[in-house]
Amino acid sequence: MSAITALGKRGRSRPALLGRAPQDTPAGVGTYLLLAVTFLFAAFPLYWMFVIATSTDEALAKLPPAVIPGDQFLVNLREVFSLQDVYFAASLVNSVIVATVVTASVLFFCSLAGFAFAKLRFKGSRGLMLFVVLTLTVPNQLGIVALYIVMGKLGWNGTLLAVIAPGLVTAFGVFYMRQFIVNTVPDELVESARVDGASTMRIYANIVLPTIRPALAVLGLLTFVATWNDFQWPLITLSGTDFPTSMVAISDLASGNYVIYRRVLAGAFIATVPLLVMLFIGGRQIVRGIMEGAVKS
Amino acid sequence: MKRSWLQWARAATVGALSLVMVAACSGKSTTGGSDAAGGPVTLKINFWGDFGLQDLKTRYEADHPNIKIQLNSGEYNAQHEDLQKKLVAGSGAPDIAAIDEGFMVQFRSQSDKFVNLLDKGAGSYESKYLPWKWKQSLSADGKTQIGLGTDVGGLAMCYRTDLFKAAGLPTDRDQVSALWPTWDKFIGVGQQYTAKTNKKFIDSGTNLFNPILGQQPVGFYNEQEQLQMDGGPKVAFDYTIKAIKAGLSANLASFQADWDKGFTSGSFAVLACPAWMLGHIKDTAPGTQGKWDIAAVPGGGGNWGGSFLTIPKQGKHVDEAYQLLEWLVQPEQQIEIFKKVGNLPSQPALYSDPAIADFKNPFFNNAPVGQIFPKMAQGLTPQYLGKKNGPTRVAVENVITRVQNKSLKPDAAWAEAVKEAEKAGKS
Amino acid sequence: MSTTRAAPAPSSRRAVPAGRSGGDDPRLTWRDRLYRFDMRYLPYLMIAPFFLLFIVFGLFPLLFNGVVSLRNYQLDDPTLPYWAGFDNFARLFGDEDFWNALYNTFGIFLLSSVPQLLLALVVASLLNRKLRAQTWWRVGALLPYVTPIVASTMVFSAFFSRTYGMANWLLGMVGIGGSGDAAIDWRADKLHSWIAVATMVNWKWIGYNALLYLAAMQSIPRDVYEAAAIDGAGPWRQLWRITVPMIQPVIVFTVVLSTIGGLQLFTEPMLFDLNSQAATGGPNGEWQTIAQLIYKVGWKDLDLGYAAAMSWALFLIILIVAGLNTLLTNRLSGGRR
Repeated sequence: MSAITALGKRGRSRPALLGRAPQDTPAGVGTYLLLAVTFLFAAFPLYWMFVIATSTDEALAKLPPAVIPGDQFLVNLREVFSLQDVYFAASLVNSVIVATVVTASVLFFCSLAGFAFAKLRFKGSRGLMLFVVLTLTVPNQLGIVALYIVMGKLGWNGTLLAVIAPGLVTAFGVFYMRQFIVNTVPDELVESARVDGASTMRIYANIVLPTIRPALAVLGLLTFVATWNDFQWPLITLSGTDFPTSMVAISDLASGNYVIYRRVLAGAFIATVPLLVMLFIGGRQIVRGIMEGAVKS
Repeated sequence: MKRSWLQWARAATVGALSLVMVAACSGKSTTGGSDAAGGPVTLKINFWGDFGLQDLKTRYEADHPNIKIQLNSGEYNAQHEDLQKKLVAGSGAPDIAAIDEGFMVQFRSQSDKFVNLLDKGAGSYESKYLPWKWKQSLSADGKTQIGLGTDVGGLAMCYRTDLFKAAGLPTDRDQVSALWPTWDKFIGVGQQYTAKTNKKFIDSGTNLFNPILGQQPVGFYNEQEQLQMDGGPKVAFDYTIKAIKAGLSANLASFQADWDKGFTSGSFAVLACPAWMLGHIKDTAPGTQGKWDIAAVPGGGGNWGGSFLTIPKQGKHVDEAYQLLEWLVQPEQQIEIFKKVGNLPSQPALYSDPAIADFKNPFFNNAPVGQIFPKMAQGLTPQYLGKKNGPTRVAVENVITRVQNKSLKPDAAWAEAVKEAEKAGKS
Repeated sequence: MSTTRAAPAPSSRRAVPAGRSGGDDPRLTWRDRLYRFDMRYLPYLMIAPFFLLFIVFGLFPLLFNGVVSLRNYQLDDPTLPYWAGFDNFARLFGDEDFWNALYNTFGIFLLSSVPQLLLALVVASLLNRKLRAQTWWRVGALLPYVTPIVASTMVFSAFFSRTYGMANWLLGMVGIGGSGDAAIDWRADKLHSWIAVATMVNWKWIGYNALLYLAAMQSIPRDVYEAAAIDGAGPWRQLWRITVPMIQPVIVFTVVLSTIGGLQLFTEPMLFDLNSQAATGGPNGEWQTIAQLIYKVGWKDLDLGYAAAMSWALFLIILIVAGLNTLLTNRLSGGRR
């Protein structure tokens, strides 16, 4: 609400700026202020998670809310890690395994298929690509009941395989890779490599892969984040086993006859840190990836 | 930019690989090797709350170097649901599964999925158990015993002496017991308390409903598995609504974070205490040591809860599991659990053991819990708890919760409770 | 879609020394055959892993779901007849829980997607300025996006606690609700619980959608704005009269995305429950969504056949709603011009 009025006022008071595209208009104090409020709104829950994770039980019920981190982080963490029935340490490892394997597989198989669709000529390629595009929006959570039965027949329920297998490829990955390769890998380069006697796989390894590195980074980061955060399917197939992912382990922490928020949030914070680090390091790529995806689709 | 990204990717790969290796190794230590002959065997026990097993586990592992015990405590309803799911799936069930009496009929009707403890020689324990306790986990044809009893709930009232004093009520346990021979009187005392202090008296309506229901001759279901809402449930429900209407309840959903916090912050002054509740209070609010005491329950007698240990057939280490189970129900261990968390053994011979009979719980102002609870357990005529008792109870509790959070008018509550109970019974 | 593809003339590769022959065609060298394999079959090999994995773990379960929905698949009662026909679907129509969950899902969906996309537009237009540390503002907008929903929901769950929650405290400062018996119980009725759950969804997705809008905004040709200067539009009118119609395709895209996501909402309502394993969405299903109900029916009541039927119903509903929304958004954001 306040954003609206502030924008309106600013507009009326500075008619000189009109006519310029917004992105060329230097931001005023009001804009920065509103952005700061937005940022606070986005960051506070995360910060408060940390505050509670570092505090004793009393901090949770404090009003006005506790905003200064306590000194109990290690104590809380030790409790989380020593809860035998939650398997928290193992769950972090499991999450790393699942997210890493899935990410690596998505990057490899999707870039391979994307390359084939973008630069190779073969019968039916157009129809097959259409199939990929059509399946883009099909939410495969809707098949979880059958997926559970399939995994049961394979004997994979309750193992990490059940969580890894459905994530190994994504239609979005193929689509994204194809678009990127079409736009960035020049046909002449592929052609001249052919003339020099390079095989398809060599072209993939020596020309395509180096060119699409930024896209790989983006797809990799997005896939990793999505896989790490997945909850519904891992809950169904992994809860009550010795192999939860960290999301399932946190939900275990949050149930039971004792729900102790400082523990739950300490666990949640630990499971969030890897993603925050990724955002910090790869933020530029993630932002670019999301924005590019928006323009092209 | 590009270079730094490359370095980062390389570092990430190395990190991931090393983690995978760590995982591979740690994975082996927890799961692998258990099927090798003579190798270490891991026994998993599923239960809820605090069964007082932590120290026993350490001791048993020390005496049996080839056994590792894994304690797996979860939420009460979820543990039973999970067990059902695993029994159906044919794998994944723990080596030893605790089952509450409220879910027992459901599981004993699937006795083919459990190890018949009679085959393991458990028949010799029959005479040691309260007869009704032994029968509760026996299959209908009497041929399969799926579990050995651990504790019985019994019933008493835990109250905060400091809060009672502040409200001008007596604090001595006999005097407090004399205040409320009936539930009507109990509600009267509550009104007195809230009028004086402007605070809430009880924790939650559901924790009034369950004990009162536990005192009725017939619970939700009769032995023909017919829902009998107009009997015991109606009595318990009416008292519950009366107490809520009188503004006695702090309306805290039991076994949730706010409820737990209520113990420390004094949000309520009294709550129904089966023996197993003592451990929960002690664990949740260690700071309130000495501020509690235990009085008799209004209406006299009754039972709420009590568990069994069972061995699902699908386990790989059925023999080892039985050895552990047998060890856990031995007097020495049962007494230790009683002292630690308050769970009252279901073997009456122990009640006269001085270790129990003379035991006074220091956390509860040295209340003679070794006298209070056994007396009750021995005089008990247990209720039949139907196959659908678990879900039915949850459904009715939800209706009470809705009255407490004011989304349901108290006067409309009973009709709603009947409807929900019928629905739960059918599903 | 179509691009020029690398099509090296095969004849240039044939110029290898002849003589080394074998196989069915004596004139082909092994290199020739390798080449032919490379050109003719390798592309299929390259796309095969995707299609195999996708079909086995994506498409097949979706279709097999249809078969399961026609069966009696009650896990703890194998005595039921194999086929159920359309019984499971017939049951849906009379199932109060299903309609209740559908109602909740739509309620939460409306409360989350509308403010979410509007606020995202505002945030995007804020970001669409010449900013110092521009990248960091954008990265900051993604903080909620990378945060696991499981983690953030636990935080919000505490925010919306009746007794100790920050939400009631904040509202109390502006005179809404109060303490003690007057405090808002966020888990007591539909409206409040929907608001709480919708808040979590909004928090998570505003920044992400803002970036999508921002990208579209920045690709609007500059002269469009220059032309608009003549009729003296302020920034707010500029946003609504120029920017929004120009980025309409992206708005439609986000509407479709949030429809697909919103109608499958699971984690937030699940963990908002005080007993996070109950899957009932409140004592009377106040905020139980369809995805949650599917979970409860399938993995608590162990009735997979019925759960599969519900999944199909949800699939149909998503298709219909996404289609309707596309139409509607096209009208709304385009008609303004």
